[in-house]
Amino acid sequence: MLHRAWFRQFDYLLFAGALCLCAIGLVGIYSATIHGADSALFVRQAIWIGAGVFLAFLVMAIDYRFLTDHALLFYGLTMLLLVAVLIFGREINGSKSWIRFGSFGIQPSEPAKIVVILTLASYLSQLNDNYLRRKDVAALAGLTLLPVILITMQGDLGTALTFLPILVGTMLVAGLRLKFLIFVLVVILCVAPLGWLTLKDYQKQRILVTLNPDLDPNGVGYQTRQSLIAIGSGGLMGKGLGNGLQSQLGFVPEIHSDFIFALLAEELGFLGAAAILSLYLAGLLRMVGIGDRANDRAGILIVTGVASLVCFHVFVNVGMTLGIMPAIGIPLPLLSYGGSSTLAMFMALGLVLNVHSRRFVYSEASV
Amino acid sequence: MPINQDNRSHKQRLFYLRVIFFLAIGLLLSRQWFLSILEYRRYQALAERNQFRTVPLPAPRGLILDRDGRALVQNTFGFALVLFREEAFELERVLDFLEANLSLDRERLERRIREANQYSLYEPVVLQQSLSLEDMTFLLAHQSEHPELGINRRPRRIYPYGEVAAHLLGHVGEVSGEELQNPDFGSHRPGDIVGKFGIEKAYNRRLAGRSGEQRILVDSRGKTLQELQVTPPAEGEELGLTIHLDLQLAAEEALGDNPGAVVALDPETGEILASVSHPGFDPNAFARRLRPEQWEKLISNPDHPLQNRVIQGLFSPGSIYKLFVGLAGLELGVATLDTSAFCTGSIMLYGHPFRCWHAGGHGRVRLVDAIQHSCNVYFYLLGQQLGIDALSEFSRRLGLGQPTGIDLSGEVAGLVPSREWKKETTGNPWYAGETISVAIGQGPLNVTPLQLARAVGIVATGQTPQLHLVRGNQLIASQNQLDPPGFDMAHLKAVREGMWRVVNGQGTGAGARVEGLDVAGKTGTVQTISNRTRARLGEEVAAKYTPHAWFVGFAPRDDPAIVVAVIVQRGGSGSQSAAPIAGEVFRAYKNLALGAGGELAQLKAPSAIH
Repeated sequence: MLHRAWFRQFDYLLFAGALCLCAIGLVGIYSATIHGADSALFVRQAIWIGAGVFLAFLVMAIDYRFLTDHALLFYGLTMLLLVAVLIFGREINGSKSWIRFGSFGIQPSEPAKIVVILTLASYLSQLNDNYLRRKDVAALAGLTLLPVILITMQGDLGTALTFLPILVGTMLVAGLRLKFLIFVLVVILCVAPLGWLTLKDYQKQRILVTLNPDLDPNGVGYQTRQSLIAIGSGGLMGKGLGNGLQSQLGFVPEIHSDFIFALLAEELGFLGAAAILSLYLAGLLRMVGIGDRANDRAGILIVTGVASLVCFHVFVNVGMTLGIMPAIGIPLPLLSYGGSSTLAMFMALGLVLNVHSRRFVYSEASV
Repeated sequence: MPINQDNRSHKQRLFYLRVIFFLAIGLLLSRQWFLSILEYRRYQALAERNQFRTVPLPAPRGLILDRDGRALVQNTFGFALVLFREEAFELERVLDFLEANLSLDRERLERRIREANQYSLYEPVVLQQSLSLEDMTFLLAHQSEHPELGINRRPRRIYPYGEVAAHLLGHVGEVSGEELQNPDFGSHRPGDIVGKFGIEKAYNRRLAGRSGEQRILVDSRGKTLQELQVTPPAEGEELGLTIHLDLQLAAEEALGDNPGAVVALDPETGEILASVSHPGFDPNAFARRLRPEQWEKLISNPDHPLQNRVIQGLFSPGSIYKLFVGLAGLELGVATLDTSAFCTGSIMLYGHPFRCWHAGGHGRVRLVDAIQHSCNVYFYLLGQQLGIDALSEFSRRLGLGQPTGIDLSGEVAGLVPSREWKKETTGNPWYAGETISVAIGQGPLNVTPLQLARAVGIVATGQTPQLHLVRGNQLIASQNQLDPPGFDMAHLKAVREGMWRVVNGQGTGAGARVEGLDVAGKTGTVQTISNRTRARLGEEVAAKYTPHAWFVGFAPRDDPAIVVAVIVQRGGSGSQSAAPIAGEVFRAYKNLALGAGGELAQLKAPSAIH
C-alpha cells in the first residue's frame, strides 16, 4: 500500500503547518503552567502529539476508499461505543463522555467526528446527481443527528454541535438546492426555540451573556471578561512569553485548554494572534486545494468535512475567547491541551493527506 | 463505486468553503484587531486593575504628649477587614460568609458598602475595624475562597493611661456619613479613623496626617505576590499639651470615685495643667471596637460618663460667687473695705426671711470677714444694693455664662441671669427678691468649673489669658478673649485676703491647707432643691438631692501660679468634700514645683513650641 511515489505525493507543507500549530500550542501550554503545579501537562501534550503523528500516518497508509467502503461498519461500531459511554462512562465536569482505560481516558465522541465525515462521504460518493434529493438530505441529516443526540445525552453539548458543520459543509459541496437550504434554515429556526427549552439553565445563561456581556459581568460573564482583558491588554506586540500576568495569575480559567488562545494573544500580541489565525486560514485553504485536486467525490467530501470541522472549531473557540461566541467548551485544534481532540485532529489530518497522496491513483490506473 | 464519476460541480462548490473560511477567519482577525489595537488602552487599564490592588496605608495619628513630652496617646497596630469591591462578583455569598462565620451584622455591612459606592470602585471598603485574632486567622485560612476580602494593617490609637484625662484627650472612631459632608473632614474617606471627642476631635486636622497607598500584585485568589510603589503615609503632627501628667494623676486620685470635676490652670499663661471629669470612660474601648452593650452602658449611665464636666457640666457657683459680688461692690463703688453689715443669722427682705448658713449669726462683718466666713447676710445686702443689672454685667466681665474659648469642642456657655433673659424666657419681669438668691450664687446662675476657675484666676492675678490645652495656642479663639478688666489692685488684694483666711484662718476651706504653700480659696455648697422642697420630700428621697460641693482656690497667695477648681456632685458641703480634694492637688503641685533649694519654681516650662 505504501509506495515510494506515495512519499513524493505527501503534502509536506500542510503537515508542517500542522506541526507548527502544535509547537505554538506546546509553547502556550508550557507558558500557562510554569507557575502551576501542572507542568507535566506540557510533556503529556508532546506525547499526545507524537501519538497523533503516528495515528495520522496510520490513517494515511490505508487507502481512503477502503475506509469509505467500510464506513458503515465503523459508523455502527462508533454508535455502539457512544451508547456504551452513556452506560459505563465516567462523569467529568458534568458530562459523561469519557471511557477510562487505566490512567488514560478517551472520549469516543472525538473519533466519532472522523467516522461521521467518512460515512457522509461514503454515502454521497455512491450518488451520481449533481444536487441532493430530499431523501439524501434526510439520510445525511439522520446519519449526523444520531451521534449528535447520543453525545447531547452525554451532556456534552459543545462537542455535539461540532457535528453540524460537517453536515452543512458536506451538503453544501454535495449540492444543496436553494429550496433545501431555505427548508433547513426554517427547520432550524423552528427547532431552535424548542432546543432552547431543552438547554440547561447554565447553558442558556452562557448564550445570553455572550449576546450581552454586560448582563452579568461578574458571574457567568467572568471568564469572557477576563479573556477579553487578557487579549486586549496584549496590544500589538504582546507582553512576551511568560509575562502575560492576566493569564499567568489565574484570572483566565482553562488557560491551557479552551482559553489557550487568550494566553497566546496576551503574550504574543496582535501579531502572534494574527499569525496563528493566518496559519489556520492557510491550512484550511490548502485543504480545500487538496479537495480541488482530489480524484473522486469521496475524496472531495472527506476534505470538505475535515475543513468544515476545523473551521468550526477555530471559529467557535477563538470567537469565544474574543467574546463573540458563547462559552462552549470546544478545543482549539492542535493548540489546546487534550489527548482525544489532538488524536482526532491528527486522524482528520491523516485523512486529508490520504486524499492528497492518492489523487493520481485513478488516472495512473486508467492510463 | 462509479468509475470516472463527474465531480466538476462539487469542485466548483468548494468555492463556498473558501468564502466561508475567509469570512470566518477575517471576522476573528478584525475582532482581534479591535480588542488588541483599538481598545488596547482600555483593556490595558483593566488588566492593571485586575492584577494590582491599591491598598490605602492610613497614617498614624500624631502623638499627644504632656508638657514634659510624656506620651498620653500613642499608636499601635490593628487589622481591618476590607472588601475589594471590583473583585466581589458574588456579594451575597461574601455577606453570607461573613455573617455566618464572623457574626458580623449584615445590614451594617450592606450600609457600609452602599456608602462607599460614591467613591471609586477601586478603593477598598473597610467592613470591620479591629479584627480579633481568631477572626483574622479564620479569614487567612479562607483567603483563596474569598480573594475579594483582604486584611489591612492599620495604626490604632492606644491610651496607655486608660481613663486618665479621657474627656480631655477624647477618643477616636470611624468617620461618619455626616462628618464626610463636613469640609473639615474633606480629605477623609469612609472607614478612616477620626477624632470624635476632646483633643482628638478639636485637633483632628493636625493629628490625622495624610494616608499613603501601596500597590500590590495579586493573583486571582487574592494572594499577594509582590508589594510595589509605596507612597508612605505622612504621620500626623505631634501635639504637646499643657497638661502635667503627674498633676493630672494626682487630681484623678484626689477626686477618686466621686462624680464631679477637677481643673487646674495657670492663671498667668492660661495653660490647663490638669482636667478631670468623673465618671469617665476608657478611650481604648472606642479605638478597638466598641461593643453595642458597652455603648449602651455608657449612654444609659445616669451620671453621664461621656460628658466632660469641666466644660460641659453646669452648676450654680454657690458661695464662690460671693467673691465676685464682693469685688463688684468695691469696683462699682457700692461698698468700701470698711462697709459692714450685722448678721443675726437671717434677714427679712421684701417680706421674706433670708437665712445665713450660720444660724447663730456672724455679728458685725466687713467684706474680708464676710468672705472668710461666707456670710450670706452681708452679700444679700450688697447684692440688693448692686441690683441684678450690675451683677450680671460684672459677671460677664469675669467670663461667667460664656464659653472660655478653650481649644476643645462642645464647651457650653452657661447662664448669667438678667432682666432681659427673664423677660424672654418666662415673659415675667425680674423680681427684686430674686437678686438676693443670685447674690449668694444660687438661682438661675449656671457656670462650668472651667469658667469658675478662670474667674478666680482673674481675681488672683488681674489678668485674662486665653485658656488653652495645646502649647503655643494662646492666640486661638480670640472672640472669646476677655478684655483685661483693669481691677484696682487694692480691691483684688482684699478679696484674696478673704480667700486666704478661708483656708488659713477660721474659715470653711481649712481642708485645702497645704504645709509650705500659701493657698487661698473659697468653698461653696450648692443646694439642688430648696429647703422647703427638702422637707416635703422627706430625708430619704432628698438624699438624692444632696448639695454639690465646690472649692476654688489658688496658690501661692502672693504670686499665683495655679488655680484649682473642684466640684463634687452630691458631695454635701464644700468644706468637707471639695476642699480636701483641692488640698491634695495643691500638695501635689507643691511637690512637683518645689525646686531643690526649696524655692517654688514654675512648673517645667515647655521645652519647645510646636
